[in-house]
Amino acid sequence: MANVFVASFEILSFGAIIVLVVLGLGIIASMMGIFNFAQGEFVLLGAYVTYLAYSHGLPVWSGMVAAPFLVGALGFVLEALIIRRFYAAPIVAMLGTYALGLIIRECVRGLIGGLYISVPEPIGGSIDFGAVHISAWRFTIVVVTAVVMAGCYLLLSRTSFGLRVRATLENPALARASGISTPTIYGAAFAFGAALAGLAGALIVPVFSLFADLGIRFLIQGFVAVMVGGVGSFIGPVAGAGVIGTLSAALPWVMAPVVADVLVFVLAIAFIKFRPQGLISGKGV
Amino acid sequence: MERTHQTRRRFLSHFAFASGAIATGLGGWVIRPDWANATEAPIKVGIATDLTGPIGYAGNADANVAKMVIKEINGGGGLLGRPIELYIEDTASNESVAVGNVRKLIQRDKVDMVLGGITSSMRNAIKDPIVARGKTLYIYPQLYEGKECTPYLFCTGPTPAQQCDEFIPWLIKNGGKRFALPSANYVWPHLLNEYARKVIEASGGEVVFEEYYPLDQVDFSATVNRIMTNKVEVVFNTVIPPGVGPFFKQLYEAGFQKNGGRLSCVYYDENTLNINQANEIEGLASCLDYFKVLTKDDPVSAKIQAAYDKDFPGNFLFAAGSAATGTYRGLKLWEAAVKEAGKVDRESVAAALDHAKITEGPGGSAEMVPGKRHCKMKMYTAVAKGGNYEIVGRSDGLVDPKEC
Amino acid sequence: MDAARQALRPAASGGPDTPTVECASGGELAVRPVAARRRILPVVEVLALGLALILPLVLQDYLTVFATRVVILALFALSFDLVWGYAGIMSFGQALFFGSAGYGVALLARDLDVTSILLVLPAGALIGLASSLLLGGFLLLGRHPSSVIFVSLGTLTGSYAADRLARGWYYLGGQNGIPSIPSMTLGSYEFEEGAVFYYLALGILIVAYLLCRVLVRSQFGLALAGLRENEQRIAFFGYKVQHLKAIVFAVGGTIAGLAGSLYAFHEGFVWPNMLGVVFSTQVVLYALFGGSGTLIGAVVGAAIIEGVSFWLSDNYRDIWPIILGLLLLLVILFRPLGLISFVLGERERVGRFGRPPKRTS
Repeated sequence: MANVFVASFEILSFGAIIVLVVLGLGIIASMMGIFNFAQGEFVLLGAYVTYLAYSHGLPVWSGMVAAPFLVGALGFVLEALIIRRFYAAPIVAMLGTYALGLIIRECVRGLIGGLYISVPEPIGGSIDFGAVHISAWRFTIVVVTAVVMAGCYLLLSRTSFGLRVRATLENPALARASGISTPTIYGAAFAFGAALAGLAGALIVPVFSLFADLGIRFLIQGFVAVMVGGVGSFIGPVAGAGVIGTLSAALPWVMAPVVADVLVFVLAIAFIKFRPQGLISGKGV
Repeated sequence: MERTHQTRRRFLSHFAFASGAIATGLGGWVIRPDWANATEAPIKVGIATDLTGPIGYAGNADANVAKMVIKEINGGGGLLGRPIELYIEDTASNESVAVGNVRKLIQRDKVDMVLGGITSSMRNAIKDPIVARGKTLYIYPQLYEGKECTPYLFCTGPTPAQQCDEFIPWLIKNGGKRFALPSANYVWPHLLNEYARKVIEASGGEVVFEEYYPLDQVDFSATVNRIMTNKVEVVFNTVIPPGVGPFFKQLYEAGFQKNGGRLSCVYYDENTLNINQANEIEGLASCLDYFKVLTKDDPVSAKIQAAYDKDFPGNFLFAAGSAATGTYRGLKLWEAAVKEAGKVDRESVAAALDHAKITEGPGGSAEMVPGKRHCKMKMYTAVAKGGNYEIVGRSDGLVDPKEC
Repeated sequence: MDAARQALRPAASGGPDTPTVECASGGELAVRPVAARRRILPVVEVLALGLALILPLVLQDYLTVFATRVVILALFALSFDLVWGYAGIMSFGQALFFGSAGYGVALLARDLDVTSILLVLPAGALIGLASSLLLGGFLLLGRHPSSVIFVSLGTLTGSYAADRLARGWYYLGGQNGIPSIPSMTLGSYEFEEGAVFYYLALGILIVAYLLCRVLVRSQFGLALAGLRENEQRIAFFGYKVQHLKAIVFAVGGTIAGLAGSLYAFHEGFVWPNMLGVVFSTQVVLYALFGGSGTLIGAVVGAAIIEGVSFWLSDNYRDIWPIILGLLLLLVILFRPLGLISFVLGERERVGRFGRPPKRTS
């Protein structure tokens, strides 16, 4: 019984991590229709900022709080300078963001070398329920993810800014005609997506260690998750991330990890083939 | 540790490295002695190692050791009265780049010997251009899975026999009989586990499970759960970065060490201590040919370590898990062989290297086993305590590699 | 001179999937008649060929070996350019076919001792063909036409999954790959690396290149050109768009497979990275850098990127990937048609079909 509980919790926490990473990707894909190949590197930057704070003697949580803001700001700048030019051609966007990601990744690699650096978690230890141990930090990640998602949902559905964002999501032309400044919305959306990735990176660095190829790992899973979930809405990528995250964490319990690895992708692609709109089609929240 | 000094030191070491490189100009790194005698043709040594990429932390240490050793030999008048020229090429942790750069050493620089390669896949990629197509002597300095019996290929790093024969009985005595073998899925863990299993069972232990994971797996909840529920007493780990950090952390959080479990990992040296927090790997046992703490009671090791630290302060540590000790050993054995042969051609040197011995090496003396192309050396068992190692076991003499 | 060059210069900053139009600067330039336009493309091709032929004579041994590798990679880049430049399929998975063929022939050599060039090269091409038919069929064919993004992601995932599988499968050597592949043979003669292998690879590249040229200038190619310009309209004309794409994808896969088998024997080992995403994207970068949709652009791009990286690897190893990323970004932003667009006009990309119209006097 305890086993099932531990297993479920582990699956849930891994799923939460994937959701955080994918949320930003999904928002950018839904809003602007481009797949941001540099999203993994935004995660890496979030992790790096956290490490930087730690290595200068500041408490880890301060780095974690700063990361989303710093990465979001960078995202905003990049969007204004570079990404904006790609909206017309999604394929070129993939390549351009890939090049951007390459630059970021190699810069970080130059800064930290080829090492795997550990960063301690702000809330360490474990929470004990009798014989069952749960990592306190991973529990925190689940809580933060839930809060962030709830916050996003509230932002989108209850605020006027959210209203403008939703309008742009559903019908950009009409939104523009109604006087909503779509370039500003796009800039904000990209910055927000980057900030989410930065937050994800900051939260997961105590779990995964900091290394230069941290981003690539999540990139492919992220894309598949977004496609499985469905582009165009807020809930879609979240659902997709949940599914992919759960499958990736659960399957190794019942089969060899290598097979599980590949199977997740095969299933995902097959699913998308037969249901191209993904799990949740339609635009809006 | 010295985290705040890291960046400054790293910048300095990079700067020194870069300026050295720029000074020698195009064409890889060539290091010549100051007194290069015009009448004596130089002996050319090639080093092919990972200076960039994920294995860069080890490759740079090996290159530094090579520079140190060659400088010392040249300082003493060279080898056979001839100066040694050192050619360093970057294998970049990337096999296909490596093959191209190794070809430069062989075809353009025409070196007399190549030492290098760290991962087994790198060794496999470059051994052909060096030994078969290039007809050059090749020394491989890193701990590995054994079974490399190619002629003219000499291995100076620990083999499974050296890492397991004395270590596993110690683990059984200081940990327990129930072993788990969580492993990264590639050649080294497969073959190492095969050997380890034999020793475990022969020593009265039992392998509860043996599993292989993709190299970038970072979530080990299933494994940790299996370890805890099966009451495993010793984890004989061969998971490598990036997975090893999260794995050890998850294992610690599940209470493995609290319940008396013993963690062991035969590639863990001073480099890898930083991957986890000190409390997470408290009590971790490793078995290698050298640990820095040996400098306290072994003057030879102290001398070598001090010379290295003086010339190369910074992040690239002189440690046994990154082939630095194997590089030192390999170069000194080769030097002895060339002195004995009196010539530098492959046949003569290989024949002499076959039974070469050195008395002064990191961790102790070393001897090649005739006909086997592998090296006997002293092995030490150490346990991680508070972020440093403590020696808890030493081999009685030189341990047999039992290869080929 | 200057005016003619201006007439050939394409419009600024259109993406590869937006058709661009010749621009006449100011109003002083009248539209020139077709016949008077210089055909630069054949000149470029002949120049490249000439350079390639004399290379081993002027280079040292080990550089010839490097040049052979570049030729094989150029063949690989060609396969991508065919698929992307002519059929609009952004395949992030060409390495899947390249690597599968490489592994296939490596296994043939290791387990069955088959090294004859007459068997392994066709085997490689066949493996490339089979795998690309499978993947292409699944991704492209079906009741609903697949979106461009889906095909891209599908090929990316295919490449990634193959990489993971090879990495985890011990029979294939796992992460270490299969080393020590013996040399290719023809009877008792062994193809060692050097000038002979170089000319062999070059010969194969030339044949493949010519085949591709014929293909894209044929009637089939005309349909492809129409596909590139406006997919829907071509569909309305009655062409089965998805079948066209699948055919081109299969041809591309075959060429990639051929390149893969050559690479395996030249380098002497195969490893999972040959199947993976990084390698796939590398070939995308070659073609993009050189200029997609021109065939020669892919070859030029491969040569330049590999050459510069080889030269830089001596001095600026650490920052070369950053420089590469920056260069790429600049090309994508400001010169999306690739470097070759400095020389070739848009007209030459699409090409001429059939005979030129008869001019009356």
